[in-house]
Amino acid sequence: MAKQHKPGHVARGGWSRSTVRAVAASAAVLLSVAACGTKPSEEAGSGSDDPIVIGISLPLTGDFSQPGGEARKGYEIWVDQINADGGLLGRQVELKITDDASNQDTVVTDYTKLITQDNVDLLLGTFSTLLNFPASAVAEKNGMLYVEPAGGAPKMFDRGFDKLFFAQQATAEHQPDVFVDYIESLPENERPKTAAYPTQDDPFTTPVIESMQKQLEALGVETVYTTTYPADATNFQTIASAIAAAKPDLIAQGAVFEDGVGLVRSLQQLNYSPKMLFQTSAPSNAAQYSDGIGVANTEGVFYTVSWNEKANTPKNEEFVAEYAKRFDGGIPAEDAADAYAAAQVVQAAVEAVGSLDQDRLADWLHANEVETILGPLAWDETGAPTSDFLLAQWQNGAVEIVAPADAATTDTVVAKTPWQ
Amino acid sequence: MTQLVQALALGLLIGGVYALMASGLTLIFGVMNIINVAHGALLILVAFITWRIWSLTDIDPILLSIVMTPLMFGFGWLLYKGVLSRISGSSPGMSVLLTFGIAITIEGVLNVTAGNRFRSATPSYFSESYRVFGISLPKAQVFGCLAAVLVLGLLYIVLARTWTGRAIRATAQNSSGAALVGIQAGSVAALAFAIGTATTGVGGSILSVLYPFFPASHYDWISRLLGIIVLGGMGSLAGALVGAIILGLAETLTATYGSLQWSTLIFYGVIMVVLLFRPQGLFGSRLRQDVMA
Repeated sequence: MAKQHKPGHVARGGWSRSTVRAVAASAAVLLSVAACGTKPSEEAGSGSDDPIVIGISLPLTGDFSQPGGEARKGYEIWVDQINADGGLLGRQVELKITDDASNQDTVVTDYTKLITQDNVDLLLGTFSTLLNFPASAVAEKNGMLYVEPAGGAPKMFDRGFDKLFFAQQATAEHQPDVFVDYIESLPENERPKTAAYPTQDDPFTTPVIESMQKQLEALGVETVYTTTYPADATNFQTIASAIAAAKPDLIAQGAVFEDGVGLVRSLQQLNYSPKMLFQTSAPSNAAQYSDGIGVANTEGVFYTVSWNEKANTPKNEEFVAEYAKRFDGGIPAEDAADAYAAAQVVQAAVEAVGSLDQDRLADWLHANEVETILGPLAWDETGAPTSDFLLAQWQNGAVEIVAPADAATTDTVVAKTPWQ
Repeated sequence: MTQLVQALALGLLIGGVYALMASGLTLIFGVMNIINVAHGALLILVAFITWRIWSLTDIDPILLSIVMTPLMFGFGWLLYKGVLSRISGSSPGMSVLLTFGIAITIEGVLNVTAGNRFRSATPSYFSESYRVFGISLPKAQVFGCLAAVLVLGLLYIVLARTWTGRAIRATAQNSSGAALVGIQAGSVAALAFAIGTATTGVGGSILSVLYPFFPASHYDWISRLLGIIVLGGMGSLAGALVGAIILGLAETLTATYGSLQWSTLIFYGVIMVVLLFRPQGLFGSRLRQDVMA
């Protein structure tokens, strides 16, 4: 139909004008995605007064825009604080943040450009395993230190990289250890006897849940149901009915966010409330989680987390206060804190080494422990961290840390209440 | 047996809501050859507005669709007159580019104004179910599906029984022929686009209760809805209904008898098989290019 119209003069006039606009609009989108700017920084470590430029690509739009935006807040608070304290190596620090639109190809282009064209002095990582996996390969190839605030899937660390560091306490497969330890600490008759393990098909949740299943089976907890669902699943009623039919004591779900809320809602609709509920990251989304399932229904829900706003760690209070000041009294998301911690790791290495020599920075991090707002972090030779996550539990509409003992904000663990 | 009935019932309830969401998309394509990629973003926009009003006033979110529908009708009209009419007559590819731009704009505006975080409306009944013969029917899903059936019924009556509807269908079937008998293509297109957009007023309100959403959720929805209308036949309302129910059943049956992981594969597998034998989709009609001017 359109073909017949094209040769007409009137049609062509309108057509080409709108073509130009559409092309201009798409070009604008592409440009903003690739956000260029060509201000090459000086040679690293030359002792000049120019700012130290740190290159970062974040998913500011698209699927991961939410954690990406939080990570950006964490990085920006860190850079403003360090500049107020006189900068790094006596130089001011500048962040060069580009948007990878949650896209693997774009993140590769972004980091390549930051390194080879913009000649940034340092890099910081992006969000999620999906994006960090290719981005860290670009950094490694170019001999750049790459500290990532997220991306803990096991496959990140079996590539023999020596400039990759994961700035959280543990990789995905060790994330449930602290919960399993808690179960093991319970008297035999209080432990769950059966468990269901639904998980999203996600590189960050699946290894957590698989590892938990293996560890709990070793403790004698019988597995009565497992399933993996795709990331775009929106209806959880069928999974919930299957779980309700299997009657597990414990439901341990590998939940990113909507799926965590969705499954709990469906379980409520069926009025099946397990004795224990564990979800990987959904419950860490504070008010978004309690609004989603109803605050009374959060009572007793467990999750593991890298950070808590009450934790008594260096700089944590200042970070939480600054975040509240900037964002209407908001509490930082975990992703903001992880980004802040990743920047602290780079800062510690640069200050200790006294230069921007990437090899020496990596060597130093392999040999030393760094104090961050998440607590102390240390790494093995692959860049995988060697500490433990925090075990958190919703109690009375707020989150408390219940293990490990030295980080705990309370020493009581509450029982899960039935759905309200 | 109960398991099967439960899966079928849920599949139909889910499919009904999907059908409503897809109906506007297929209508707009049928009449104007515009693939409205912004349809998902419009749904999310409505969901945000509904959620906001609900959280401030506690008015039932699904009832709010009575207000949102005329609002979205007006918004659709303005969008067509202001933006989309400028590409009328150009290729569907151009409409994808333009409406994708609109989608990104809506996403960006929501990011800035509403905040980039998950929301969901939780009226008192969201966690309750009706129990009928041992199967459970979540109330929110039932209300959503009833609203969807009501709107689809209305849409059918408007299209089949009114002169406006006949004009819209005539334009969809043969725009040149319709013009010959005195139908003004421009105003029919604006009307169809406005009606198509108005359906997001109900669809978005239901979405706000059934599914947690955030500004970028529209990518998931538009891909699902495009799949539905390609399967059903682009431009066909009945096709959207059947396509949506197939997707709903694919989700619940695979989750019951296998793993939900397979549902996407099975749904697109069905699309491929259907397209092999009926390239125009289940209910799509082949356009007779020879009689078109």
